[in-house]
Parts: sequence; C-alpha cells; structure tokens
Amino acid sequence: MATNRTGSQRANGAPQTKVCQFKLVLLGESAVGKSSLVLRFVKGQFHEYQESTIGAAFLTQTLCLDDTTVKFEIWDTAGQERYHSLAPMYYRGAQAAIVVYDITNQDTFGRAKNWVKELQRQASPSIVIALAGNKSDLAAKRMVEFDEAQAYADENGLLFMETSAKTAMNVNDIFLAIANKLPRNETGGAAGAGGARRLADGEQPRSSACCNRAPPRAASDTRSGAGDASGRGVRGLRSSLRKAGFTRALVVSQAV
Amino acid sequence: MDEEYDAIVLGTGLKECIISGMLSVSGKKVLHIDRNKYYGGESASITPLEELFAKFNAPAPDETYGRGRDWNVDLIPKFLMANGLLVKLLIHTGVTRYLEFKSIEGSYVYKGGKISKVPVDQKEALASDLMGMFEKRRFRNFLIYVQDFQEEDAKTWKDFDPSTANMQSLYEKFGLDRNTQDFTGHALALYLDDNYLQQPAIQTIQRIKLYSDSLARYGKSPYLYPMYGLGELPQGFARLSAIYGGTYMLDKPIDEIVIGEGGKVIGVRSGTEVAKCKQVYCDPSYVPDKVRKKGQVIRCICLLDHPINNTKEALSTQIIIPQKQVGRNSDIYVSVVSYTHQVAAKGWFIAMVSTTVETKDPETEIKPGLDLLGSIRQKFVSVTDYYEPIDDGSQSQIFISESYDATTHFETTCLDVLKIYKRGTGEEFDFSKVKVELGEEDQ
Ligand SMILES: Cc1cc2nc3c(=O)[nH]c(=O)nc-3n(C[C@H](O)[C@H](O)[C@H](O)COP(=O)(O)OP(=O)(O)OC[C@H]3O[C@@H](n4cnc5c(N)ncnc54)[C@H](O)[C@@H]3O)c2cc1C
Ligand SMILES: Nc1nc2c(ncn2[C@@H]2O[C@H](COP(=O)(O)OP(=O)(O)OP(=O)(O)O)[C@@H](O)[C@H]2O)c(=O)[nH]1
Ligand SMILES: [Mg+2]
Repeated sequence: MATNRTGSQRANGAPQTKVCQFKLVLLGESAVGKSSLVLRFVKGQFHEYQESTIGAAFLTQTLCLDDTTVKFEIWDTAGQERYHSLAPMYYRGAQAAIVVYDITNQDTFGRAKNWVKELQRQASPSIVIALAGNKSDLAAKRMVEFDEAQAYADENGLLFMETSAKTAMNVNDIFLAIANKLPRNETGGAAGAGGARRLADGEQPRSSACCNRAPPRAASDTRSGAGDASGRGVRGLRSSLRKAGFTRALVVSQAV
Repeated sequence: MDEEYDAIVLGTGLKECIISGMLSVSGKKVLHIDRNKYYGGESASITPLEELFAKFNAPAPDETYGRGRDWNVDLIPKFLMANGLLVKLLIHTGVTRYLEFKSIEGSYVYKGGKISKVPVDQKEALASDLMGMFEKRRFRNFLIYVQDFQEEDAKTWKDFDPSTANMQSLYEKFGLDRNTQDFTGHALALYLDDNYLQQPAIQTIQRIKLYSDSLARYGKSPYLYPMYGLGELPQGFARLSAIYGGTYMLDKPIDEIVIGEGGKVIGVRSGTEVAKCKQVYCDPSYVPDKVRKKGQVIRCICLLDHPINNTKEALSTQIIIPQKQVGRNSDIYVSVVSYTHQVAAKGWFIAMVSTTVETKDPETEIKPGLDLLGSIRQKFVSVTDYYEPIDDGSQSQIFISESYDATTHFETTCLDVLKIYKRGTGEEFDFSKVKVELGEEDQ
C-alpha cells in the first residue's frame, strides 16, 4: 500500500509539501464520547451503542492545509482513566490534547478541569489544549452552561467548542482549530528529541516519518472495509475545511 | 472490583505488565492492580527529582539541579540488547510504537585500573589496548570462529562439539589468556560470574552472537535505552493490556489473597471488596510467605554534572568491571544515561553502580565503580534482597516472578516472563495472536 501511494504521487509530480506529525491525546471521564469523537473525525461514523474502547493503539488522520500536511496521531485512553489509572506515558510528548466532558453531566466537567490542571502540570509546556463539551445534541438535558465553560476556557487559554459526535457538529472544526494553532515549521511535530527512534523490523529513525513523505491521495488511501461511511467523513471534513478557508485541502483517514 | 476474572495481576513492574499484556492479548479477562499510585513498582523511574530525594530521606535538591520534573531516575539500571528478547517482544506486540529509544554510545571494560572500549569486531580487536600483539591475533581468530559458527551446520564447528565441550576448552583451543577470557565472558557474553566456564560452550557462543548481532543493528553499542527512562516500558505493556480489555486499578491496597479448597487461589481482597479469579500473577512483594531470599543486590544512584573520564564525553555508556580484575566473584556494573534521554535536567548525568552483594560491607564492594565516576554531586545507596518463588504455582495457581537481578540487560527478565506464562497457561506464548496492523510510521 505504501509503495503504491508513493509511486502514484511521484507519477503525478505533485509539489513537495511539508509534513508535520503531531501526537494528540483524548482525555475525559468514561462515556463522555472520546472514542465517538475520534470515530466521527477519522471515519465519519457514529455508533449509538459504542462499547468501551478496546483494540486500537491509535488512529491517524491527515489534513493537508495549503502547503502543509498535518498528520494527527490520535491516542485514545483504552479505559485506563476509569479508575484514575492513566499512565503518564500516555500524554508524554503530546503536542495537543482534547479534554472532553458531557454537557449533560456536571461531574464530567469537574473531571475535565482536573485533566486540564494535570496537563498544565505534567505535559509539555507548549501543548495545545482544546476543551470539548460533547453531546451538544442533548441540549434539552444540559447541565453545564456554555458560558460557564467558555469563561473557564478563556481563563486557561484553551480552545473551546461544544461538539456532537452524533450529529458531527463542530467535530472536524475542533481538530482543525487545533491544527491551526500548532506550530507548522520544519521541526514542528517531530515528536521526541534528536536521534531517538522507534523500533521496527524494517528499522528507520523516527524523525524520517515527519519530513519528505508525500501526502497520500484521499480516495486511494481510504481503508478497505471502512466503505461509504469513511467517504462521508472525508466529505464532511472537506466542507469544514472549505468553510475555514482551505480551498486546496485534502483529507486522508487511516486507522492503526 | 466485585467481578470475576480469569487472572488478577498484582504489581505493575515490568514483568507483571508484560504478563498482563500477554494474557489480555490471549483473550483472558484480566484485572491488574498496584498498591502504589504510580506504574512500575521497582522498575519505575522516579519523577520529579524532589521525590527521589525524599525517597532516600535527603534534603531537597537545590536550584543547580534544574527543574525537578525534567528528571526520571530509574531505581534499577538495565539496558535493552538491540537484538534481544525484550526488543522482540516490543516489536511483536506493537508496544514499540509508544516508545522511543536511543543507542547507548559506548561499551567499556575495566582492566588494571583503567577502562578500554570493548572490542567487538576484528578491526577493533587489532586496535585494542586490552591485548598484546600475539594475543590480538588469537582473539581475532576466535571472533571469526564465533561469527561463522552456525548451530545447524556442524562443518562450522571445526572439530569441536560445543554442545558437550565446555567454554574453558574452547578458550584453550584458541589459546586465549586469562585477561581475554575475562572480557570475553563478562563484557561480551555478559556473564555475572565464572560458572559459565564449565558449561557447554554453545551458550557462550550464542551470547557473543547476541552481542554482535545487537551491535550490528544500530552501531555504536549493542544497547538501547528508552526516552524518559525504563519506567516507560511497564507503562507501554500496561497500555497493551488495557487495549485488549485489561482493567487497571492503581493505588489499591491488597489485604488478602483468598485461598479456597485444595489450596487454590479464588480471589483477591481489598478492604471489603473481593475480586474473584482463577489465577494470580504477582511480584514477590505481594506474597512474602511464598518466596525465599536468593541474595542481595547493591545499587548506587549517582548524580553527576559531567560525563565520565575516558569515554570520549559520551552521553551514555556502560562499563563492566569483571570480577577477577578486582578480586571478586561477581562483576560490578556502571551504567550512565543523561539529559539526552530526558531523564535528567540539561547538563546532568545519572550513573548507577551495581553488583551482587558478597560481603557484610557492600558499599566498599562498589568502590572500584565509584572511583571511575569523578566527582559525585549526590549519591543514593540501596541494598535490596532479591527473591525467588518457593514453588512453581501449579497447586495454588499463584505465579510469582523473581526479583530483578543484577544483570545489566533484560534477557533474564524476559526469560522469567516467558517461563511464568508457560507455567500459568500451559502453552508457549503465541506471538501471532497479536494482530499488529502496521501503521504508516512502521511501513
Ligand atoms: C476510534 C475508534 C473507536 C472504536 N471503538 C470501538 C469500540 O469501542 N467498540 C467496538 O466494538 N468497535 C469500535 N470501533 C470499531 C468500529 O466500530 C469498526 O471499525 C466498525 O465496526 C467498522 O468495521 P470495519 O469492518 O470497517 O472494520 P475494519 O476495517 O476491520 O477496521 C477498521 C479499523 O478500525 C480499527 N478497529 C477495529 N475494532 C476496533 C475497536 N474495537 N476499537 C478501536 N478500533 C478498532 C481497526 O484496527 C481497523 O484499523 C472503533 C473504531 C474507531 C476508529
Ligand atoms: N447523544 C450523543 N451520544 C453520544 C455522543 N458521543 C458519544 N455518545 C454516546 O456516549 C456513549 C459513550 O461514548 P464513547 O465514545 O464510548 O465514550 P468514551 O469517552 O470513549 O468512553 P470510554 O472508552 O469508556 O472512556 C456511547 O453510547 C455513545 O454512543 C454525542 O455527541 N451525542
Ligand atoms: Mg472510549
């Protein structure tokens, strides 16, 4: 798959673009909709009976903004936060975090504030934090006021949006807002310090994953099996990008 | 917690986390508990620095140490062999994608009061100051023999049967002197003592091959070290376990391991809650009456504001002091990591000197190691007992790991894990059970 992609890219003679990879982590109380937000963003899907997260290391989603390809490596908690047992490794080296609460549940907002504190204390000082008030489609059962959350976000320098994984409202937009706030310079996004590497059978230093890799094409890269739903996700994201003024934007989804 | 599990794992040290991951991946319902509020148990990396000072009852560090949270100090020093079992486990389980590593810059051996680079190929052997002219030739021939050796191909054995003949006789076949034997057995084959000399030579040949294959992987030394410290390793395997459905509870004291009919474990109690299970896997600290003391290890953490002399200013090194060089029965190890691994503030180094305790005065035993370090800003000494289980767990279904030994790498750690997995499940771990879908970064 990788070979095909690179091949077609070269054949097209598309211009070289800068590729920045960012680690983005999701935090928040169980059942606020963390996995649902990712699933909506990466695949354009929503499951009414989304089970607690199992089986995925992390997912990647690539946005091409003008001359830059922003690749999100999206980490979900795997349920480790349930008994307050999340490992610090989880947010180590993360350049962005989305802290999620459920607007119909006041406790989850309190917990979200604790996560913000924890990130400010432990994570990289330059981390971009977004607060997401999820399940905005359930406004009738609202327990957390928009203005209260907005004021809290302003005080703490957080991006803030109310989202719905169910209706897709603001889901793409919040990721996009983060992408816009992240530094997109040459070194931006190269997680880890110089010379560090991940290990793999076909060994390659980690940093090479950041640069020089041509952005893949949307249609050919959608995972087989993800089907139509994924296509919808891509289209939805395209329209948000257009709204945000990115005319040449291209979206590619990939699950790991 | 009041549920039924296939297995409950107690303690989040590296061994327990690997086992937990393997069990979850194999479809078992796992509850993993630690009495501490952090992951890693004895294999944690302590952060911030203030926490380390407090742990050893030292007055708080002053401002010259930089930001406390830039420090992650291991309690147990070890490196990964680049071609070793732990790296294989990391790659097969996909845990490698949560971690990043750096190569250790140099590997040194101590002889006659000074240190020399460990020669690993023919070229280095000929340039080494560890041996005289004629000895170099003999050592070179020995290295070539080991390199060409194939277990399946008896022709490469050259009229020597390494499965029956011992290592001493292989050294004699090549006429290697005591000094060369010393660094070969201890700095290349990484034996702790000299018992290997009487064992079949094949074991030593394989260890030397592991060393040179590991070296071939990334160059400068055969060792790797994870960014942010060894404490990242248990966390990585814990995440694997969680991803495959394992439930995690930290900061949960264990008051009783509940035993049922026939002496078989039926659950674990914390306060008034009882979690039922068919098996328990744990480290020795959770079952003091089911382990026996095997020995003691002394470990001395030294904080330095400079690299080690004669290591070409290396930001990371390993130095092995072979037992005979200092009149001992077991080797002394010095390992050095630094700010480049995100385990210390800018400009700082962490050296750890460790060995198996042989006398009533362990601090004096490690002096040859400390003497190599130059000025030491702060020193923390710990002497810990290490334990082994008194039985194999088949009756009680309680499977206990051994404490971490004095070896400088993870080979014995992984062998223990694979043995425990086999004792507990009755089968070898099937690596193909982990469906690793390669991500883009792995292609
Ligand atoms: C962020 C995210 C979270 C998900 N959470 C759940 C969940 O909690 N419960 C659930 O039953 N399904 C979950 N799924 C899986 C999702 O429901 C399926 O991918 C969907 O059913 C589509 O099936 P498929 O045949 O296209 O899957 P495939 O094409 O076989 O897989 C699509 C991708 O989804 C990943 N995936 C498969 N199963 C899961 C999983 N359980 N969790 C996370 N990723 C998975 C795979 O690794 C693969 O890369 C999740 C998927 C994503 C992307
Ligand atoms: N109405 C509505 N329901 C949602 C929304 N997002 C998620 N849900 C539902 O909320 C439940 C929990 O969602 P998840 O995505 O599993 O939540 P999570 O935060 O990942 O939970 P854990 O994995 O257990 O930590 C599921 O039943 C979802 O269908 C939303 O925007 N609106
Ligand atoms: Mg989830």
